[in-house]
Amino acid sequence: MVLKDFLAKEQKTVFMLCNEAIARGALEADVKVVAFYPGAPTSEVLDTFSEALGNFDYQMEIATNEKVALEVCAGASFAGLRSLTAMKSVGANVASDILFVLGYTGVRGGLVLVIADDPHAHSSQSEEDGRFFAPNAYVPMLEPSSPQEAKDMVKKAFEISERHRVPVIIRTVTRVNHQSSIVRLENLERTAFKKAKWKELKEEFTTLGEVARQKKLEMLERTAKLAEEFEKSEFNFVKRADSDVGVITSSVSYLYVLEALKMLGLQEKVNILKLGTTYPLPKNTISSFIKGLKKAVIVEELSPYLEKEVYAIAKAANPSVAIFGKGSGTFSEAWEFNPNIVVKGIASAMGMEYVDYESIIQEAKKLKVDIPDRYPTFCAGCPHRATFVALNQALRIQVAKGQEHYFANDIGCYSMWVFPPISRSDSSLCMGASVGVANGLSHAIEERVVAVVGDSTFYHAAIPALINAVHNGNKFTLLILDNSVTAMTGQQSNPSTEFTAGWRQGKKVSIENICRAIGVDFLEIVDSYDVKNNVEVFRKALEFDGLSVVISRRECALYGDRNKRRRGEPIVPFYVDKNLCKKPYMCLRTFYCPAYEIDEDQQPRISPDICDGCSVCSKLCPFQSIKRTEVKT
Amino acid sequence: MSLPVNKEDRGENLSRNIFLCGVGGQGLVLMTTVIGNACAKSGKKVVTGEMYGLSQRSGTVSVHLRIGEDAFSPLISYGDADILVALEAIEPLRYIEYLKKDGVVLMNKRIMHPPIETSKIITAKGTKYITVENIVSKLKGWTPNIAVIDALKLARESGNVNTENTVFLGCLSALEVFPVEENYIRESISEAVPTKTIEQNLKAFDLGKENAYISLCTLVPCKRGH
Repeated sequence: MVLKDFLAKEQKTVFMLCNEAIARGALEADVKVVAFYPGAPTSEVLDTFSEALGNFDYQMEIATNEKVALEVCAGASFAGLRSLTAMKSVGANVASDILFVLGYTGVRGGLVLVIADDPHAHSSQSEEDGRFFAPNAYVPMLEPSSPQEAKDMVKKAFEISERHRVPVIIRTVTRVNHQSSIVRLENLERTAFKKAKWKELKEEFTTLGEVARQKKLEMLERTAKLAEEFEKSEFNFVKRADSDVGVITSSVSYLYVLEALKMLGLQEKVNILKLGTTYPLPKNTISSFIKGLKKAVIVEELSPYLEKEVYAIAKAANPSVAIFGKGSGTFSEAWEFNPNIVVKGIASAMGMEYVDYESIIQEAKKLKVDIPDRYPTFCAGCPHRATFVALNQALRIQVAKGQEHYFANDIGCYSMWVFPPISRSDSSLCMGASVGVANGLSHAIEERVVAVVGDSTFYHAAIPALINAVHNGNKFTLLILDNSVTAMTGQQSNPSTEFTAGWRQGKKVSIENICRAIGVDFLEIVDSYDVKNNVEVFRKALEFDGLSVVISRRECALYGDRNKRRRGEPIVPFYVDKNLCKKPYMCLRTFYCPAYEIDEDQQPRISPDICDGCSVCSKLCPFQSIKRTEVKT
Repeated sequence: MSLPVNKEDRGENLSRNIFLCGVGGQGLVLMTTVIGNACAKSGKKVVTGEMYGLSQRSGTVSVHLRIGEDAFSPLISYGDADILVALEAIEPLRYIEYLKKDGVVLMNKRIMHPPIETSKIITAKGTKYITVENIVSKLKGWTPNIAVIDALKLARESGNVNTENTVFLGCLSALEVFPVEENYIRESISEAVPTKTIEQNLKAFDLGKENAYISLCTLVPCKRGH
């Protein structure tokens, strides 16, 4: 998609990423307030709104975390405005506190919450199944399969939200969010942004004790009404066939089912029930679908969420139906699906022969024996690499002195310290948890605990754990890697950036001032690129008999490049002077920069189109053989 | 080995499957946008599955791209891709299971050695880098239809070293199995790239196409009219 398409005022057919379609759907529904914390696979919803911000009058925030983002939306909704947020499922864990409460209090303006699961844990710490938020919070949930359906559902979700005064979850998975296809744009008719008067709207959004008990009954009533309404929803439909076999499916699995039936030559030979409203489920629709079936195949990723309901419904509707799913071992609860897995599952349920895809994989594997892995790694010029080199040296010095360490990693680009060839991390958990567990470990182990956290993660979830450390006198070392942006998800702004959403001027929130105000006694601020100096600072921090905090600061290389391009500054690469290089490989040994290769003389060579000109490797060379290219003027 | 499911069983396959791969930062997403927009302009159904969650610069990136009325799934089935396009030379091997046995590999001559490979060379004596020749000989165990394109050289000739992805769009456009008309691709390129690089990108496209007629069209059918 190009921005011009996204902004189109009239009906049009365009190629769009699902995340863009979600944003467009919200715009078409006249959304007024959007707030996000970035996280794969939803970040492009944020990015699209940020890019388009100058063209509209919606209010947008890149919030400090998902809970705050949902609260921003709730505030707007209480005042009658339509609002939307999107987050990955682990972000929904953070936001769940307010989500559960909103289930009770209800909302006024349409509030839509996109929760994206990541089956296969492509870019997440777990394969969480976010569908369970919906029944747990008594909040309705819609599940799209494609960008078009996602856009349609977002628009409908605002209506449902306002009709029933409840937040609506749009639940996606990575293969839906990161799916592009043809999307029909409808007219964009936006009303002007207008503040409300609270005294004209005034009502109480409260829940506690007796109020909560009363609201619980209302929630049950609301859910019953929604269930009735969803029986007629256009998002649930049946594809009938003259057959006693039926497939029940939802989300991206529906597309795999269509593909699998085509591959098996079973198109129009198997009944399909495609579910789009997955909470509350249209139980009558399911019941009448399974009546008369001999076999029901439930195709869903992760937990047997639909399957358990089907078992319960079948007990009355059709006790003799054979159910194929997770329970029968037809499908696994682990990992994401693909067309081949679904072909295999449906074929085995039908008692058909299927071609063994495993043999293709095995044959391919033989060809791949010697190919090098390509783990995610730090970009050329990444300040985290420089911080790691200095920290590694400092740790080595301390080990020689008899001090051993526990390394608590966290969520951000620096997470890549867990991957080879660095592979240094004793734990890597969830946002801000490095500081949290450092508290407990400082009581429990003799070794010095070193925790790391990035700027965005610090604001997001690490501050309470740091206050806890100061208050309780816990002794460990915390490195705060401040690279100015939320780098891993695409360099979005955060409180360490001088900009807010849409690159509008914002106020930076000083990490060191927070640390000082909390009462951190040992606080140092260093330039990540200054490796030599930093070894000594890190060493002192490790030796400090108390809580020590070092802020290692240098902007993200990709963000820095973007700023350089904006200012018209060149990126000047370095090169290895072949006459001076004596091949001790100090530039390579713990540095692992993707700009480096070994040439035919076994000397290091720097690819000029990858080198970012950070200069850090040049300082590691004992022979001063790494030099800056002279700029032609 | 036969194809996963006999073609006769599933009737006429209307869709074309193209698997794109490379290294983060090479412009795979832009390439996908160009093809997708061209499909939208020409009224073709298209669906893609894109993988770039945790991929930084230098990580592996892949896109499943499917064009046609019966393309439902955003992921290509194993052994079902008509074309495997690789902007980097090691990557086609990583995803070879997606390619048909007689499918086409369009690969860059350029290797970007991952840091882990380089670190092995300095720590384990006698270790050598994988070469394009190694890779091509392995790929030949899967398909005879392999074209190695010196895209960096052609990109330089276009006047913009960052147009390697556009060179491959040119190569693709020559192939008979690629179902999108050239004029739509050119129009989409002009809309998707920065204005001041349009001319260079269109040049890169032409260079890629010409190159395909030399290196590829002797192996597989190409569109006429060249």
